[in-house]
Amino acid sequence: MSKANDLIIRVAGEGGEGVVSTGDFIAAACARAGLEVYTFKTFPAEIKGGYCMYQIRVSSERVYNQGDTFDVFCAFNGEAYELNKHLLTPGTTIVYDYPGGDFEPDAIPEGVTAYPVPMSQAAKDLGSYRSKNMVAMGVLSVLFNINEETLRQVLTNKFKKKGDEVLDFNLKAFEKGKELGAGVKKVDTWRVADAVEPKDVIIISGNDAVGMGAVLGGLEFFSAYPITPATEIAKFVATHIPKFGGTLVQAEDEIASIGQVLGASYAGKKSMTSTSGPGLALMSEMLGMAFMGEIPALVVDVQRGGPSTGLPTKHEQSDLFLAIHGAHGDAPRVVLSVEDVKDCVDMTVDALNFAEQFQCPVILLSDGSLAFSTQTIPAPKPENYTLVNRKRWDGQGKYFRYAMTDDMISPMADPGTPGGEHIATGLEHNASGAPSWVPANHEAMQGKRFGKIAGLVDTYKPVEVDGEGEAEIGIITWGSTIGVVREAVERLRAEGIKAKGFYPKLMWPMPVAQYEAFAATCKKILVPEVNYQGQLSHFIRAETSIRPIPYTICGGLPFNPSMIVNKVKEVL
Amino acid sequence: MSVAALHKKEMAPKDYKSDVNVVWCPGCGHHGILNGIMRALSELGVDPTNLVNVSGIGCSSRTPYFMQSYKMHTLHGRAGPVATGVQLARPDQLVCITGGDGDGFAIGGGHMPHMARRNVNMTYILFDNGIYGLTKGQYSPTSRRELKAYTTPYGGPDDPMNPLLYMLTYGATYVAQAFAGKPKVCADLIKGAMAHKGFSYVNIYSQCVTYNRIDTIQYYRDLMREIPEGHDTSDLGAAMELARGDGEGHRPMGLLYQVERETLDERLASIVKLVGGHEGYDKNKIINLFRP
Repeated sequence: MSKANDLIIRVAGEGGEGVVSTGDFIAAACARAGLEVYTFKTFPAEIKGGYCMYQIRVSSERVYNQGDTFDVFCAFNGEAYELNKHLLTPGTTIVYDYPGGDFEPDAIPEGVTAYPVPMSQAAKDLGSYRSKNMVAMGVLSVLFNINEETLRQVLTNKFKKKGDEVLDFNLKAFEKGKELGAGVKKVDTWRVADAVEPKDVIIISGNDAVGMGAVLGGLEFFSAYPITPATEIAKFVATHIPKFGGTLVQAEDEIASIGQVLGASYAGKKSMTSTSGPGLALMSEMLGMAFMGEIPALVVDVQRGGPSTGLPTKHEQSDLFLAIHGAHGDAPRVVLSVEDVKDCVDMTVDALNFAEQFQCPVILLSDGSLAFSTQTIPAPKPENYTLVNRKRWDGQGKYFRYAMTDDMISPMADPGTPGGEHIATGLEHNASGAPSWVPANHEAMQGKRFGKIAGLVDTYKPVEVDGEGEAEIGIITWGSTIGVVREAVERLRAEGIKAKGFYPKLMWPMPVAQYEAFAATCKKILVPEVNYQGQLSHFIRAETSIRPIPYTICGGLPFNPSMIVNKVKEVL
Repeated sequence: MSVAALHKKEMAPKDYKSDVNVVWCPGCGHHGILNGIMRALSELGVDPTNLVNVSGIGCSSRTPYFMQSYKMHTLHGRAGPVATGVQLARPDQLVCITGGDGDGFAIGGGHMPHMARRNVNMTYILFDNGIYGLTKGQYSPTSRRELKAYTTPYGGPDDPMNPLLYMLTYGATYVAQAFAGKPKVCADLIKGAMAHKGFSYVNIYSQCVTYNRIDTIQYYRDLMREIPEGHDTSDLGAAMELARGDGEGHRPMGLLYQVERETLDERLASIVKLVGGHEGYDKNKIINLFRP
């Protein structure tokens, strides 16, 4: 159950029934009212129909995750009810489509508040079944204190583009819903926090935020192949990059997209691609080429349920092995992992910068639940981002593309630069780029290519430590699970358990010293992650002296804070 | 590439040679093609500073090492996408691909249609020797069935493909064929290809004296037939007829097809123009779209 001022509303029904737009409108209205919003959705892999769920968590304080379960559930149809009825525990409230909907619920469990509202019927009476979601929004706004003024503004902004007739009709349906809501005798106490002073925020999904990061990071060339759940990144870039004179290509496959990225990058442009696990697997050979040829390139991997085609629309954090070690030969790269939507913006900029700075492939890991999660984040300020450009040859003397330098980074020369003619090659080579099979050369070149990124563990803020002093339990986790653990750590402390959190954002090179220092302050280390093998646990065991307790789930859904709290109590 | 826009430099063909030793076998047809490329560059007056030569893996994919220019030696089969990226990033440079039949049509076959249909403004020079030489003699997508090769000791089980028909079908806007024994013809066709605006494809038969003992220089001499005068190079049907061969097993030599069509970089540039794109666009305008 949530804290005061912290409400979780779940809307569910059939895909195409307006579940997603209902959620989007409520989320935007709450954000407009100055509140913090974190949304979470699941949808089927099929295009039409299928169960669709949208959960909105809203609070006057910062929200780190989707929460344990809902407080308020709005069922659009019988399937949604069936799939969620086990979550109707004492204290929860259900609003459902009755009479006139397609189902009648079982006996309402003791302690659950139920509000039957004839939403479908009202929509039909107005002349369009499709307006059911507008009716629902009216009902919910009255019953749960969703700010009516901001909701009306959001609806107006959305529908006025479609003409007065459409706008008037939808507002009429919204009014009808309010009327129905007003007729319900409210007995529960759930309510959205009151509006506060609006903040300078945007509300944006993880995928759009990566696209925004790319724009802020100075991206010039983008090539990608469609894949769930990453394609929205390409859509964002396709829409906005021409405004800066940039280029987007939809390639014939993922190998081609990373190939085009390497070509464009060699030719001097800041370049990236986005994909999911299957695409990253296809790109492995090219990532080795980028490493060997010292070509800057960013790959964003929005992880999904695997292996193989797996669970394309579901959440998993199972590409860490692939991201860190996926290529033949010894071919390291920089691997970053985002926690939330804000990171999706900021760390995409970081990732583009690192690719340019170190002239190597950089992989940024996001995941399926972040991809579609919309969150309120501070509005980015373009002037606050420092952009890094690759070191370029100054035109003096004879040019050696792979010259040994103090920082192991060799200046690049763009095509068209007189005297800078050189080869970028996947063959082992000497300083000029000519093929070389000399043993000492290969060792020196590998040392150069590994060495240039090794220092990142000291120069980048690679981890965040949550808590001070000694602790009974230290929780190390990564990706969007961090937000869940933050809340779990707070709750554990509130219960008097000394808990600390350790949240790495730089996954490779691994900041080993920081892991060790953290573990030294904790009696036990728990590593929750959403994959079968415990991939981060594996790296911790391999690279550090820590012997963590893995806690893995892989059902296609993220953790929630209660799960972590319970696990901690179990292992202590 | 429209070479007219490039910076011109007067250089003899041999001046395009780099200081890396050519590692091909003596008698290999590739030597003749390399000479043809350098001759074409010399006649066009291309400054090597403005040339990007991209290759995949194979004997012919070593070509970039032997010439002065910007160059990329990439992965097996992947020269096409990489060169596409280079061309789109720098449409002001001359981009070409040098590679073989296995690299281009087997492992890289998935990329070929897309370079052609997109009309990427670059030149693909395919050294077609009907064999994998660098891996010591396996049959390729253009090998004849009669060829008994390393992995086909009893002869090949598959029929060879027809690169010219393939390229014409997928929309290449310049399609020509020559053979390495005719360096002057090679040079002329490569020159035409480089001067062409759009995706140009030149298939050049090349004898492999080490691993393909049936496709000899004499075999190619007998095989090739000059394209008859009066052939309409803008007629796709006529070009396809030529590409199919004359029914007696001969192959056409010369320019089969050339038309002008908007290139991919031009179309992408028109999108930028459509939205009024410019470097200084205010990023806040995009951020503001996401205010609640």
